[in-house]
Amino acid sequence: GELYCSLPNPRNVHFESVNMKNVLHWSAPEGTGDGVLYKVKYSVYGVGKWIRKPECRNINRTWCDLSSETSDYEEQYYASVKAFLNGRCSDWVETARFNPLTDTKIDPPVVSVSSTEKSIAIILTAPEKWKRSPAGESVSLLQVYPGLQYNVSVLNKKTKKRWFFSISNNTLLVPWLEPGTAYCVSAQIRVPTPLLHSGFSKEHCISTLKDKTSGETA
Amino acid sequence: GSCRVSMSITEIRSGFNTIKANIQARDPIRTLSILSYPHSLHKVKSSDRCCVSHQLFTFYMDKVFRHCRTEDSYINRKISSIANSFLSVRRSLQQCQEQNKCVCGQESTEKLKQVLVNYEELNVTAAAMKSLGELDILLDWMEKES
Repeated sequence: GELYCSLPNPRNVHFESVNMKNVLHWSAPEGTGDGVLYKVKYSVYGVGKWIRKPECRNINRTWCDLSSETSDYEEQYYASVKAFLNGRCSDWVETARFNPLTDTKIDPPVVSVSSTEKSIAIILTAPEKWKRSPAGESVSLLQVYPGLQYNVSVLNKKTKKRWFFSISNNTLLVPWLEPGTAYCVSAQIRVPTPLLHSGFSKEHCISTLKDKTSGETA
Repeated sequence: GSCRVSMSITEIRSGFNTIKANIQARDPIRTLSILSYPHSLHKVKSSDRCCVSHQLFTFYMDKVFRHCRTEDSYINRKISSIANSFLSVRRSLQQCQEQNKCVCGQESTEKLKQVLVNYEELNVTAAAMKSLGELDILLDWMEKES
Protein backbone atom coordinates (compact mmCIF):
# COMPACT_ATOMS: atom_id res chain seq x y z
CA GLY A 1 0.00 0.00 0.00
CA GLU A 2 0.96 3.64 -0.25
CA LEU A 3 3.32 4.93 2.42
CA TYR A 4 2.32 7.93 4.48
CA CYS A 5 3.19 10.75 2.12
CA SER A 6 4.74 13.52 4.18
CA LEU A 7 7.74 14.22 1.99
CA PRO A 8 7.62 17.60 0.23
CA ASN A 9 6.63 17.36 -3.42
CA PRO A 10 8.91 17.44 -6.45
CA ARG A 11 8.78 20.92 -7.94
CA ASN A 12 8.44 22.44 -11.39
CA VAL A 13 7.36 19.18 -13.07
CA HIS A 14 7.25 19.96 -16.77
CA PHE A 15 8.03 18.71 -20.27
CA GLU A 16 10.99 20.05 -22.19
CA SER A 17 10.61 19.26 -25.86
CA VAL A 18 12.86 19.89 -28.85
CA ASN A 19 11.91 18.51 -32.28
CA MET A 20 9.41 16.34 -30.37
CA LYS A 21 12.05 14.73 -28.18
CA ASN A 22 9.87 15.03 -25.10
CA VAL A 23 11.69 14.83 -21.76
CA LEU A 24 10.03 15.20 -18.38
CA HIS A 25 12.01 17.38 -15.96
CA TRP A 26 11.52 18.33 -12.31
CA SER A 27 13.37 19.73 -9.32
CA ALA A 28 14.01 17.84 -6.09
CA PRO A 29 11.63 18.48 -3.20
CA GLU A 30 12.60 21.50 -1.12
CA GLY A 31 15.06 20.82 1.67
CA THR A 32 16.00 17.32 0.56
CA GLY A 33 19.63 16.55 -0.11
CA ASP A 34 20.91 13.41 -1.77
CA GLY A 35 19.22 10.07 -1.68
CA VAL A 36 15.81 11.04 -3.05
CA LEU A 37 14.41 8.50 -5.49
CA TYR A 38 11.60 9.06 -7.95
CA LYS A 39 9.09 7.18 -10.03
CA VAL A 40 7.22 8.42 -13.07
CA LYS A 41 3.90 7.69 -14.74
CA TYR A 42 2.13 9.21 -17.69
CA SER A 43 -1.32 9.20 -19.28
CA VAL A 44 -2.89 10.03 -22.60
CA TYR A 45 -5.44 12.80 -22.14
CA GLY A 46 -8.99 11.41 -22.38
CA VAL A 47 -7.86 7.83 -21.72
CA GLY A 48 -8.54 6.41 -18.31
CA LYS A 49 -5.31 4.93 -17.08
CA TRP A 50 -1.96 6.05 -15.80
CA ILE A 51 0.96 4.05 -17.16
CA ARG A 52 4.16 3.55 -15.19
CA LYS A 53 7.49 4.13 -16.92
CA PRO A 54 9.68 1.20 -15.75
CA GLU A 55 12.94 2.81 -16.91
CA CYS A 56 12.19 5.74 -14.59
CA ARG A 57 11.37 3.74 -11.47
CA ASN A 58 13.51 4.37 -8.35
CA ILE A 59 15.77 6.77 -10.25
CA ASN A 60 17.79 9.47 -8.53
CA ARG A 61 18.06 11.75 -11.60
CA THR A 62 15.49 14.49 -12.10
CA TRP A 63 14.50 13.82 -15.69
CA CYS A 64 12.85 11.03 -17.67
CA ASP A 65 12.70 10.67 -21.44
CA LEU A 66 9.09 10.07 -22.46
CA SER A 67 9.63 10.67 -26.17
CA SER A 68 8.58 7.17 -27.09
CA GLU A 69 5.45 7.30 -25.00
CA THR A 70 4.42 10.70 -26.34
CA SER A 71 5.40 10.28 -29.98
CA ASP A 72 1.83 10.42 -31.35
CA TYR A 73 1.48 14.15 -31.74
CA GLU A 74 -2.23 13.88 -32.43
CA GLU A 75 -2.67 13.08 -28.74
CA GLN A 76 -2.08 15.12 -25.60
CA TYR A 77 -0.49 13.89 -22.40
CA TYR A 78 0.02 14.29 -18.69
CA ALA A 79 2.99 13.00 -16.73
CA SER A 80 3.45 12.72 -12.99
CA VAL A 81 6.34 12.25 -10.54
CA LYS A 82 6.49 10.95 -6.95
CA ALA A 83 9.49 11.22 -4.62
CA PHE A 84 10.73 8.77 -1.96
CA LEU A 85 13.27 9.27 0.85
CA ASN A 86 13.94 7.15 3.95
CA GLY A 87 10.57 5.44 3.85
CA ARG A 88 8.65 8.63 3.29
CA CYS A 89 7.04 9.69 0.03
CA SER A 90 5.56 12.75 -1.61
CA ASP A 91 2.27 13.17 -3.45
CA TRP A 92 2.14 12.61 -7.18
CA VAL A 93 2.81 15.91 -8.92
CA GLU A 94 1.47 16.36 -12.44
CA THR A 95 2.51 18.39 -15.44
CA ALA A 96 0.17 20.74 -17.25
CA ARG A 97 -1.46 19.12 -20.28
CA PHE A 98 1.28 18.56 -22.86
CA ASN A 99 0.56 18.96 -26.59
CA PRO A 100 3.64 17.79 -28.55
CA LEU A 101 2.48 19.61 -31.69
CA THR A 102 2.31 23.05 -30.11
CA ASP A 103 4.58 22.70 -27.08
CA THR A 104 7.78 21.56 -28.79
CA LYS A 105 10.70 23.80 -29.66
CA ILE A 106 12.20 23.59 -33.15
CA ASP A 107 15.92 23.61 -33.94
CA PRO A 108 17.21 25.95 -36.66
CA PRO A 109 17.45 24.53 -40.19
CA VAL A 110 20.69 23.14 -41.57
CA VAL A 111 22.11 25.65 -44.07
CA SER A 112 24.37 24.80 -47.00
CA VAL A 113 25.64 27.41 -49.44
CA SER A 114 27.53 27.51 -52.72
CA SER A 115 28.53 30.45 -54.87
CA THR A 116 29.28 31.62 -58.37
CA GLU A 117 30.75 34.98 -59.39
CA LYS A 118 27.55 36.93 -58.79
CA SER A 119 25.18 34.68 -56.88
CA ILE A 120 24.82 32.47 -53.87
CA ALA A 121 22.70 29.30 -53.80
CA ILE A 122 21.27 28.35 -50.40
CA ILE A 123 19.78 24.96 -49.52
CA LEU A 124 17.88 24.60 -46.25
CA THR A 125 17.00 21.39 -44.44
CA ALA A 126 14.42 21.27 -41.67
CA PRO A 127 15.31 19.17 -38.62
CA GLU A 128 13.88 15.69 -38.23
CA LYS A 129 11.27 14.72 -35.70
CA TRP A 130 12.71 12.68 -32.84
CA LYS A 131 12.82 8.96 -33.68
CA ARG A 132 13.19 5.88 -31.53
CA SER A 133 16.43 4.73 -33.12
CA PRO A 134 18.86 5.95 -35.77
CA ALA A 135 17.55 3.15 -37.98
CA GLY A 136 14.00 4.33 -37.49
CA GLU A 137 12.06 6.04 -40.24
CA SER A 138 13.03 9.68 -40.62
CA VAL A 139 10.17 12.17 -40.48
CA SER A 140 11.01 15.75 -41.35
CA LEU A 141 9.29 18.46 -39.35
CA LEU A 142 8.18 19.68 -42.76
CA GLN A 143 5.80 16.71 -42.83
CA VAL A 144 4.55 17.54 -39.34
CA TYR A 145 4.08 21.24 -40.13
CA PRO A 146 3.16 21.49 -43.84
CA GLY A 147 2.98 25.30 -43.63
CA LEU A 148 6.61 25.50 -42.46
CA GLN A 149 8.54 28.48 -43.87
CA TYR A 150 12.11 29.75 -43.71
CA ASN A 151 13.36 33.23 -42.90
CA VAL A 152 16.80 33.74 -44.46
CA SER A 153 19.27 36.52 -43.69
CA VAL A 154 22.12 37.35 -46.11
CA LEU A 155 24.84 39.78 -44.97
CA ASN A 156 27.41 41.46 -47.21
CA LYS A 157 30.43 41.43 -44.91
CA LYS A 158 32.07 44.31 -46.73
CA THR A 159 29.18 46.76 -46.81
CA LYS A 160 27.36 45.26 -43.80
CA LYS A 161 24.19 45.43 -45.90
CA ARG A 162 21.70 42.68 -44.91
CA TRP A 163 18.77 41.19 -46.83
CA PHE A 164 15.92 39.14 -45.41
CA PHE A 165 13.93 36.62 -47.40
CA SER A 166 10.88 34.58 -46.36
CA ILE A 167 10.47 31.43 -48.44
CA SER A 168 8.31 28.34 -48.36
CA ASN A 169 10.44 26.00 -50.41
CA ASN A 170 13.91 25.05 -49.19
CA THR A 171 16.14 26.61 -51.85
CA LEU A 172 17.03 30.24 -52.50
CA LEU A 173 19.21 31.79 -55.18
CA VAL A 174 20.47 35.29 -54.35
CA PRO A 175 21.53 36.97 -57.63
CA TRP A 176 23.28 40.23 -58.57
CA LEU A 177 25.96 40.01 -55.91
CA GLU A 178 29.45 41.50 -56.00
CA PRO A 179 32.20 39.19 -57.22
CA GLY A 180 35.00 38.34 -54.80
CA THR A 181 32.97 39.36 -51.76
CA ALA A 182 32.19 37.50 -48.52
CA TYR A 183 28.56 36.92 -47.66
CA CYS A 184 27.18 35.33 -44.48
CA VAL A 185 23.92 33.38 -44.48
CA SER A 186 21.73 32.45 -41.51
CA ALA A 187 18.25 30.96 -41.46
CA GLN A 188 15.32 30.40 -39.13
CA ILE A 189 12.23 28.18 -39.30
CA ARG A 190 8.79 29.74 -38.89
CA VAL A 191 5.54 27.78 -38.59
CA PRO A 192 2.61 30.19 -39.09
CA THR A 193 0.08 28.00 -37.30
CA PRO A 194 0.41 26.75 -34.65
CA LEU A 195 2.74 29.71 -34.24
CA LEU A 196 6.27 28.31 -33.71
CA HIS A 197 9.72 29.48 -34.73
CA SER A 198 13.27 28.31 -34.25
CA GLY A 199 16.25 30.45 -33.44
CA PHE A 200 18.49 31.55 -36.31
CA SER A 201 21.15 29.08 -37.38
CA LYS A 202 24.79 30.04 -36.95
CA GLU A 203 26.15 32.02 -39.89
CA HIS A 204 27.59 30.27 -42.93
CA CYS A 205 30.01 32.57 -44.76
CA ILE A 206 31.14 32.13 -48.35
CA SER A 207 32.82 34.35 -50.93
CA THR A 208 31.56 34.89 -54.46
CA LEU A 209 34.16 33.99 -57.07
CA LYS A 210 36.49 36.69 -58.34
CA ASP A 211 35.44 38.42 -61.57
CA LYS A 212 37.52 36.70 -64.24
CA THR A 213 37.29 39.63 -66.68
CA SER A 214 38.71 42.17 -64.21
CA GLY A 215 41.65 39.83 -63.66
CA GLU A 216 42.50 39.75 -67.43
CA THR A 217 42.28 43.48 -68.23
CA ALA A 218 44.44 44.55 -65.31
CA GLY B 1 -16.58 17.99 -50.73
CA SER B 2 -13.62 20.11 -49.75
CA CYS B 3 -14.62 23.61 -48.77
CA ARG B 4 -11.92 26.23 -48.64
CA VAL B 5 -12.96 28.69 -45.94
CA SER B 6 -10.68 31.48 -44.93
CA MET B 7 -10.37 30.93 -41.26
CA SER B 8 -8.79 33.23 -38.74
CA ILE B 9 -7.46 30.16 -36.98
CA THR B 10 -4.24 31.92 -36.20
CA GLU B 11 -6.20 34.64 -34.40
CA ILE B 12 -8.18 32.06 -32.42
CA ARG B 13 -5.02 30.09 -31.70
CA SER B 14 -3.08 33.05 -30.35
CA GLY B 15 -6.02 34.09 -28.17
CA PHE B 16 -6.36 30.57 -26.85
CA ASN B 17 -2.61 30.24 -26.18
CA THR B 18 -2.78 33.09 -23.70
CA ILE B 19 -5.40 31.34 -21.56
CA LYS B 20 -4.73 27.67 -22.33
CA ALA B 21 -2.79 26.83 -19.13
CA ASN B 22 -5.37 28.62 -16.98
CA ILE B 23 -8.37 26.98 -18.61
CA GLN B 24 -6.88 23.47 -18.74
CA ALA B 25 -5.89 23.76 -15.07
CA ARG B 26 -9.57 24.22 -14.25
CA ASP B 27 -10.32 20.79 -15.76
CA PRO B 28 -9.28 18.06 -13.31
CA ILE B 29 -10.74 15.18 -15.35
CA ARG B 30 -8.01 13.34 -17.25
CA THR B 31 -10.06 10.34 -18.18
CA LEU B 32 -12.55 11.92 -20.57
CA SER B 33 -12.13 14.01 -23.67
CA ILE B 34 -15.10 15.74 -25.24
CA LEU B 35 -13.61 15.87 -28.75
CA SER B 36 -11.29 12.86 -28.76
CA TYR B 37 -13.29 10.10 -27.09
CA PRO B 38 -13.46 7.34 -28.22
CA HIS B 39 -11.83 8.33 -31.50
CA SER B 40 -9.53 11.19 -32.35
CA LEU B 41 -10.85 13.93 -34.62
CA HIS B 42 -8.01 12.95 -36.92
CA LYS B 43 -9.95 9.81 -37.81
CA VAL B 44 -12.69 11.89 -39.49
CA LYS B 45 -12.74 11.35 -43.25
CA SER B 46 -11.76 14.33 -45.43
CA SER B 47 -15.16 14.32 -47.06
CA ASP B 48 -16.79 14.87 -43.68
CA ARG B 49 -14.42 17.65 -42.61
CA CYS B 50 -16.48 20.59 -43.71
CA CYS B 51 -19.62 19.36 -41.99
CA VAL B 52 -17.84 18.34 -38.78
CA SER B 53 -16.05 21.71 -38.65
CA HIS B 54 -19.32 23.58 -39.05
CA GLN B 55 -21.13 21.47 -36.49
CA LEU B 56 -18.30 21.75 -33.96
CA PHE B 57 -18.21 25.51 -34.36
CA THR B 58 -21.94 25.55 -33.71
CA PHE B 59 -21.37 23.31 -30.66
CA TYR B 60 -18.83 25.77 -29.27
CA MET B 61 -21.09 28.74 -29.93
CA ASP B 62 -24.21 27.15 -28.45
CA LYS B 63 -22.84 25.01 -25.62
CA VAL B 64 -19.38 26.16 -24.64
CA PHE B 65 -18.56 29.87 -24.65
CA ARG B 66 -21.74 30.97 -22.89
CA HIS B 67 -21.00 28.62 -19.96
CA CYS B 68 -17.38 29.62 -19.50
CA ARG B 69 -17.48 32.59 -17.19
CA THR B 70 -14.64 32.82 -14.70
CA GLU B 71 -13.75 35.07 -11.78
CA ASP B 72 -10.94 36.55 -13.87
CA SER B 73 -11.97 39.45 -16.12
CA TYR B 74 -8.88 39.06 -18.32
CA ILE B 75 -9.76 35.42 -18.99
CA ASN B 76 -13.39 36.36 -19.65
CA ARG B 77 -12.33 39.02 -22.18
CA LYS B 78 -10.12 36.53 -23.98
CA ILE B 79 -12.93 33.97 -24.07
CA SER B 80 -15.35 36.45 -25.57
CA SER B 81 -12.82 37.55 -28.21
CA ILE B 82 -12.31 33.89 -29.16
CA ALA B 83 -16.08 33.51 -29.32
CA ASN B 84 -16.30 36.50 -31.69
CA SER B 85 -13.67 34.98 -33.95
CA PHE B 86 -15.66 31.75 -33.89
CA LEU B 87 -18.76 33.65 -34.92
CA SER B 88 -17.13 34.99 -38.07
CA VAL B 89 -15.62 31.62 -38.94
CA ARG B 90 -18.95 29.88 -38.44
CA ARG B 91 -20.61 32.41 -40.71
CA SER B 92 -18.14 31.46 -43.43
CA LEU B 93 -18.78 27.78 -42.82
CA GLN B 94 -22.51 28.47 -42.91
CA GLN B 95 -22.19 29.94 -46.41
CA CYS B 96 -20.21 26.87 -47.41
CA GLN B 97 -22.91 24.57 -46.01
CA GLU B 98 -25.68 26.48 -47.74
CA GLN B 99 -23.89 26.22 -51.06
CA ASN B 100 -24.19 22.52 -50.43
CA LYS B 101 -20.50 21.82 -50.55
CA CYS B 102 -20.66 20.62 -47.01
CA VAL B 103 -21.74 16.98 -47.06
CA CYS B 104 -22.86 15.62 -43.69
CA GLY B 105 -22.06 11.91 -43.97
CA GLN B 106 -23.04 9.22 -41.52
CA GLU B 107 -19.60 9.25 -39.89
CA SER B 108 -19.76 12.97 -39.10
CA THR B 109 -23.22 12.56 -37.64
CA GLU B 110 -21.91 9.77 -35.40
CA LYS B 111 -18.92 11.85 -34.35
CA LEU B 112 -21.08 14.81 -33.39
CA LYS B 113 -23.49 12.61 -31.48
CA GLN B 114 -20.53 11.27 -29.48
CA VAL B 115 -19.30 14.78 -28.73
CA LEU B 116 -22.69 15.63 -27.24
CA VAL B 117 -22.77 12.35 -25.27
CA ASN B 118 -19.33 13.15 -23.84
CA TYR B 119 -20.48 16.70 -23.06
CA GLU B 120 -23.57 15.48 -21.20
CA GLU B 121 -21.46 13.16 -19.04
CA LEU B 122 -20.48 16.22 -16.97
CA ASN B 123 -22.32 19.13 -15.45
CA VAL B 124 -22.64 22.06 -17.85
CA THR B 125 -19.88 24.23 -16.40
CA ALA B 126 -17.36 21.40 -16.20
CA ALA B 127 -18.26 20.20 -19.69
CA ALA B 128 -17.99 23.71 -21.14
CA MET B 129 -14.64 24.40 -19.46
CA LYS B 130 -13.27 21.03 -20.61
CA SER B 131 -14.45 21.74 -24.17
CA LEU B 132 -12.80 25.16 -24.11
CA GLY B 133 -9.58 23.56 -22.85
CA GLU B 134 -9.70 21.22 -25.85
CA LEU B 135 -9.78 24.06 -28.38
CA ASP B 136 -6.22 23.23 -29.45
CA ILE B 137 -7.37 19.71 -30.34
CA LEU B 138 -9.93 21.27 -32.71
CA LEU B 139 -7.45 23.79 -34.11
CA ASP B 140 -4.69 21.18 -34.58
CA TRP B 141 -7.13 19.07 -36.58
CA MET B 142 -8.38 21.96 -38.68
CA GLU B 143 -4.88 23.25 -39.39
CA LYS B 144 -3.55 19.86 -40.26
CA GLU B 145 -5.75 19.52 -43.31
CA SER B 146 -6.22 23.19 -44.29
